[in-house]
Amino acid sequence: MKRIPAIILSLALMLPLAACGGGSGADSSSPSPSSSAAAASTELNVYMWQQYISDDLIANFEKENNCKVNLSYMSDNADAITKLTSGGGDEYDLVMTCDAYMDSLVAGNYVQKLNLDNIPNSSNINESYWTNKDYCVPYLMNYIYVVYNSATCPIEITSYNDLINPALKGQISTIDGARNLFPIALVALGYDPNTTNKDEIAAAYDWLTKFNDNVVAYGNAEQNLTNGTASVALTYDGNASWAMSEMGDKNTLKVADPFSDPVQLGFDLYVIPTGAKHVDLAEKFLNYICDPSVMAKNLEEYPYSCPNDAAVEQASDNYKNDPARDFSYKQNVFFQKDVGDALTIYNDYYQKLKVGE
Amino acid sequence: MSKRKSDSSTGRHRRRLPALATAGPVSVWMILFVTLPMLFIIYISFMSRGVFGDVVYTFSLNSYHTLLDSTYFKVISKSLEAALLTTVLCLALGYPFAYYIARKPPETASKLIMLIMIPFWTNSLMRLNSWLLLFQTSGPVNAFLQWTGITDHPVTFIYTDALVILGLITNMLPFAVLPLYSSIEKLENSLLEASSDLGATPGQTFLRVTLPLTFPGIFSAIILVFIPSLGIYTVSDILGGGKVLYIGNIIRNQFGSIRNWPLGAALSVLLLVITGLLIFIYTRFAKIEDMEVV
Repeated sequence: MKRIPAIILSLALMLPLAACGGGSGADSSSPSPSSSAAAASTELNVYMWQQYISDDLIANFEKENNCKVNLSYMSDNADAITKLTSGGGDEYDLVMTCDAYMDSLVAGNYVQKLNLDNIPNSSNINESYWTNKDYCVPYLMNYIYVVYNSATCPIEITSYNDLINPALKGQISTIDGARNLFPIALVALGYDPNTTNKDEIAAAYDWLTKFNDNVVAYGNAEQNLTNGTASVALTYDGNASWAMSEMGDKNTLKVADPFSDPVQLGFDLYVIPTGAKHVDLAEKFLNYICDPSVMAKNLEEYPYSCPNDAAVEQASDNYKNDPARDFSYKQNVFFQKDVGDALTIYNDYYQKLKVGE
Repeated sequence: MSKRKSDSSTGRHRRRLPALATAGPVSVWMILFVTLPMLFIIYISFMSRGVFGDVVYTFSLNSYHTLLDSTYFKVISKSLEAALLTTVLCLALGYPFAYYIARKPPETASKLIMLIMIPFWTNSLMRLNSWLLLFQTSGPVNAFLQWTGITDHPVTFIYTDALVILGLITNMLPFAVLPLYSSIEKLENSLLEASSDLGATPGQTFLRVTLPLTFPGIFSAIILVFIPSLGIYTVSDILGGGKVLYIGNIIRNQFGSIRNWPLGAALSVLLLVITGLLIFIYTRFAKIEDMEVV
């Protein structure tokens, strides 16, 4: 009697180990991905954000290529990284991640080099928005900027330092995350937004404690703007666009403009994981979404900023005249970069900030 | 001799079968989905974090060393405070209510118990979000306060500690009321009558008779409310707007955005130890009380 649970226990204890072993074993035994001479794939497994690509376009792609596209969704950028780095990457043919993680992913050999000859439409993508060109194809992009309600905001905001003005106490709704907020503080202080210098990060922490006093909530910026909880938001242009259209004719939300500091620009991009099984179809898919007319249609449904210049040109007037994208400093941007081990310092300070020390 | 021996062993078998059939499925379930994951968590907590946020399987006490940082001490004491406050308020609200229900005829009582359960037919995330809608700056509560002239400008209720506690209480109240109800319901009326016949005031009767006899219910209520409110993170996440962090949120972040699984595991182990300690104390008290009841 006593032996049975013991056997089950020992069996089950071995399970995770067996799973790990199986994962890496499959890695090495999978056929060489570049052998595109083989029969065309009929299945494409994509891991990405939910509510981020038009269903019609997917259906169209399936019809054109006589295949099935399986979309699975992440709830956090970290999910995708976890999938790629913990040996589960080969379950997918395309994984969405962002530019900030690219260096690590390439260094760790978690993603494959792309053959851009098979993705000719990628030439539509603006080169200045393309980091790690050999390994990824940018999809959509996000500015992190300041939006305020001109009817209720007590001060005029033209720089990050205005955000720590005590007049804004309890007024700011902001995006969350250490690597989203520290660069803002670092730029406000005149440092490199991707610094690994401990003293500079410490100074940014001090700046953020003042900022934190003015913050009413982390996350949900668009709702907090429209329901009146916040009069200022540090958020993505896509979310600001949603909030402005939600306010309709009575919209009093404005992008802070002019703005003296550079704003953060981030990309959501597709990578092909090492060990992916349907590389040929993944390349076809990337080529498909880079097609200007396809992307222009996608933008109608998901009006985010887009690095595909030809697609933006073909987009509807509604998209082109969106007040959320009407600001003068689109070129004055900085990018989030991989900070390697310094991430731990950022995270420790960020936790301290939230706990309130 | 040998025959008797085999007889007794089949006898044991006969007793085993029902035990296997009744407790077996649950035991397998618990071993597979509670015990093993828990052992795995303990195992991970002694491993280290890789550069890419993965788990590197080399032994390290780093995570436990990190726990000594004052940040975590603050979070834990804050979480304990919130859980304690929730428990005290749930008892203060739940006890009189449970008493009221228990003294009603059984039919009315079951209807009243039902009323407590009805809100739980709605998903808890839905309920939490509706609190946000109710209390937001342009919400009905603020509209009412301004209409009656109590305030002239909207009050910020949402994303405050107070609203988080309110959310915790509404989520946990049934777990206090139900055990309290079942132990108050067992209370013999004759004991209360005897107490008053012997000259005790209602207050004395409550303190000397009712309260001691319902201790097991009170302890169950404390455990059932305190432990979940210590670990829950959705309430503080939604109603606190990411500004109110408890130990549950910190653990969630380690497994999510921060990607330090060993540290998250070590924090979970710490939470397990705290919970285990509470249950240990509970079993001590509950045993004594059970003996007194019998």
